[in-house]
Amino acid sequence: MKKVNIEIDSKVQELEVRDSELLIETLRDRLGLMGTKYSCLEGDCGVCTVLIGGRNVLSCLILSADCDGEKITTIEGLAKNGEPHQLQKSFIEKGAIQCGFCTPGMILAAHSLLDKDPDPEDEEIARALDGNLCRCTGYVKIIDAVRDASQKINRSTKS
Amino acid sequence: MIKTKTTSPVGKSVPRIDAREKAAGEAKFVFDMKLPGMLIGKMLRSPHAHARIISIDTSKAEKLPGVKAVITAEDTPKIKFGSNEYFFPYTVDQLPLESDKARYIGDEIAAVAAVDEETAEKALSLIDVKYEVLPAVFDPVSAMKPGAPQIQGAMNNIGVMLPMQFGDADKALKESDYVREDIFHLQSAAHCALEPHVSLGQYEVSTDRITLWTSTQAPFKVREAMAKTLKMDAADIRVIKLNVGGGFGGKLEMFPMDFSACLLSKKSGGFPVKFTCTRQEEFSFTRRKHPMTYKLRSGVKRDGTLMAVTGEVIADGGAYCSYGPTVIAAAILRIFMVYKIVNFRVIGFRVYTNNPICGAIRGFGGVQSGFAVESHMDMLARGIGMDPVEFRLKNATDPNMETVNKLVISSNGLKDCIRRAAEACGWKDKFGKAKSAGDMARGIGIGVAADVMGSKMYKAHESAGSIIKVEEDGSVYLFTGAADTGQGSDTAMAQIAAQELGVAYERIRIKAADTEITPFDTGSFASRVTFISGNATKNAANDAKQQILNIVARELKLDAGALDMRDEQVVKAADGAFVMSFDQAVGLCYSFNYGHLIIGRGNYNPKTTPVDFRTGYGNISGSYGFEAQVAEVEVNKKTGDVKILKMYDVHDIGYPINPDSVHGQIEGSIVMGIGYTLYEDLRFSEGRVVNPSFSKYRIPRSVGIPPIESIFVETKDPQGPFGAKGMGEASLLPTAAAIANAIHDAIGVRITDLPITPQKVLEALKEKKAV
Repeated sequence: MKKVNIEIDSKVQELEVRDSELLIETLRDRLGLMGTKYSCLEGDCGVCTVLIGGRNVLSCLILSADCDGEKITTIEGLAKNGEPHQLQKSFIEKGAIQCGFCTPGMILAAHSLLDKDPDPEDEEIARALDGNLCRCTGYVKIIDAVRDASQKINRSTKS
Repeated sequence: MIKTKTTSPVGKSVPRIDAREKAAGEAKFVFDMKLPGMLIGKMLRSPHAHARIISIDTSKAEKLPGVKAVITAEDTPKIKFGSNEYFFPYTVDQLPLESDKARYIGDEIAAVAAVDEETAEKALSLIDVKYEVLPAVFDPVSAMKPGAPQIQGAMNNIGVMLPMQFGDADKALKESDYVREDIFHLQSAAHCALEPHVSLGQYEVSTDRITLWTSTQAPFKVREAMAKTLKMDAADIRVIKLNVGGGFGGKLEMFPMDFSACLLSKKSGGFPVKFTCTRQEEFSFTRRKHPMTYKLRSGVKRDGTLMAVTGEVIADGGAYCSYGPTVIAAAILRIFMVYKIVNFRVIGFRVYTNNPICGAIRGFGGVQSGFAVESHMDMLARGIGMDPVEFRLKNATDPNMETVNKLVISSNGLKDCIRRAAEACGWKDKFGKAKSAGDMARGIGIGVAADVMGSKMYKAHESAGSIIKVEEDGSVYLFTGAADTGQGSDTAMAQIAAQELGVAYERIRIKAADTEITPFDTGSFASRVTFISGNATKNAANDAKQQILNIVARELKLDAGALDMRDEQVVKAADGAFVMSFDQAVGLCYSFNYGHLIIGRGNYNPKTTPVDFRTGYGNISGSYGFEAQVAEVEVNKKTGDVKILKMYDVHDIGYPINPDSVHGQIEGSIVMGIGYTLYEDLRFSEGRVVNPSFSKYRIPRSVGIPPIESIFVETKDPQGPFGAKGMGEASLLPTAAAIANAIHDAIGVRITDLPITPQKVLEALKEKKAV
């Protein structure tokens, strides 16, 4: 067991975690943050993506014991004061959500991209999301949504 | 708090009704459920492909601390279940837990419930099963030979045999100017829904009742199967679906874990028990696509008239029948929706092997048939020097016709689809004019397909029902049995209800797919929901509307027939003149004088005739949808790599309830089809899946998705709700052939064996050079 302090969705959590405890287990089983899904537990599908320090990370491949002092954002922490993040809005408006199981991971992977590159080309969006599987949409509307979000974020920061 | 008000929402791309909670991570899946005292269920599976079960000793497992219940077949009534029991009762062949024999690697033998996963896994290892290993057979052709191991007791292991014959095929072949025979091989594939199969069962001791939460496409089907196999009253079983993380045909029936979760809960004294498949279990032990071999021999006249189609289809079905009968029937009969054929003789065999079970997957055999038939048609057209587009226009079905096997086709935009696809892609300028630059060659190819709007599979009827209640405060609740698995049926139902009731889309709250609360619905399959459940919902909304209008008419001494509701108002039907607001009208219904609770009900059973599967005659669907698809490819002759440059899809969808949702279905289907065409391949060695992970079984990822141009042909079907037809399967069906036909256009070689790997392309090029 190890004591860790992890900031999760702007809230510092003092936790005692098992040495072998995966971050996905801490989030879902210990903290009840069920927005983060998983689908393979092998790092192949991207469904369990969260942000650590703004970077997209697979929560099924990282031990909670190694997250001491980190700032983690899950899908539940993305909205600010009840206002959804522009990526969330664009996913909703552009029809990028079908079954919704990949959506949390997909939105966070896109968030990480827009942090690094606020104005990505479609090919860069596709490359950034290549680790996140979706079986419903064929990715077309997901890429549309990320493009739409980047344009709207850029417009609002300029104005 | 709802800010926007979308009135007359049908035909508009309103955001999905469940999108906000899905984007926020708040949407609940059964996968996310936890109940107090919940135990973890695990399944003991046969390690042998074929073995007699001599004995099962669970005593050590039962004694392990933390184990709350262990079950084997002895805890069950040993009643078999199947999926096509109405038309094919002899294919009901699977026990919830097997007692005498294991027929594939993964066959369910026993199940445990324990306090955690580790304990459950350990308990499995303590169950002692003695097997007598039997000879096994893994390919259908060997399985049909005399002396092959007998898997289910069916003669020559043939689980389903469908000989379909119309007209005089031999005579028509003789009268043909050109006859050719081709053989096509199609591989197995996995559904890969991202939410795995998951079942959470709870038994209530005091009432002897069961509640099952399960990730399913067909909750009422599960309820019915559970009642039969557990020998319980269906009234004592409640099946609840929450959000479902994809289905694609893989969640269309009861699974042993549904049954086991409930029985373990009972045996543990009422603790809830949850099973969640691992990804490896998903790939290895749920359902998969039927691998098939098509041998087709057909003839045409010099003018392109398709004279006869004959042939044979052999499918590896695996150890149990599942939806095999429907799959093999669709694999043979789908051709009649698209081509006017009168002389036909194709025999289909669905054969038992000791491989994992094959079942339904998006298209029900239509994907296999789509590749074989649409490649074959292209080859016939080329054989007589006819343009493949012209050939298809010449032989395509028409509106308002009855096919030789008595399909009644009313609206039919197939020829329009073909023409518009050819226009959109610039067919005339591109086909047969393959552009080569160095090692790269470009080509173009077409395929066509059709959709049914439902299919009777496990019941005599195919009805769906909806209930709408309008509360005193003006809130509108829709109860539907339709099972949204991500395709967007909840949204479509809400749009239809709002349109018919004349209120804003945002007013609708939906409660769907809970067998104790919502009306019956057979489930989400065969592109049926928009058409069948949509009509039921429209009828329910109309019923509620008439109740409101009757009271308004009485109050104002008007004729109810002269009133209508639209844009949140009661209006005069003739000129749309304002009578009163929706809220005022509802207030009137609930006033002192009337006190009328508004509860609308509707059901819909499509007008079909029973299909006689011995002869193939019958009208399976209330209407039919059509499409044409074009692929543009670039082939690297040095590496064999195939790049899809662009896909065009022109689809007769009747009328789009939600255009974005329809485009989304088409895009998703095409991309799934590209994966199946180029690389998806579920592979086996001696009955064991050798690539049961996303790293070894590749599905399409976001890089390399081609542009997709999706165009609607609006035929406004007379039977469909607001003219809409169902869709969702058809766009996957012609993709492989369109790509293979484009490859032929580019480099002059024909690949008849999916997936089209670079190696196969290179081998075919080498062979061509050698000739």
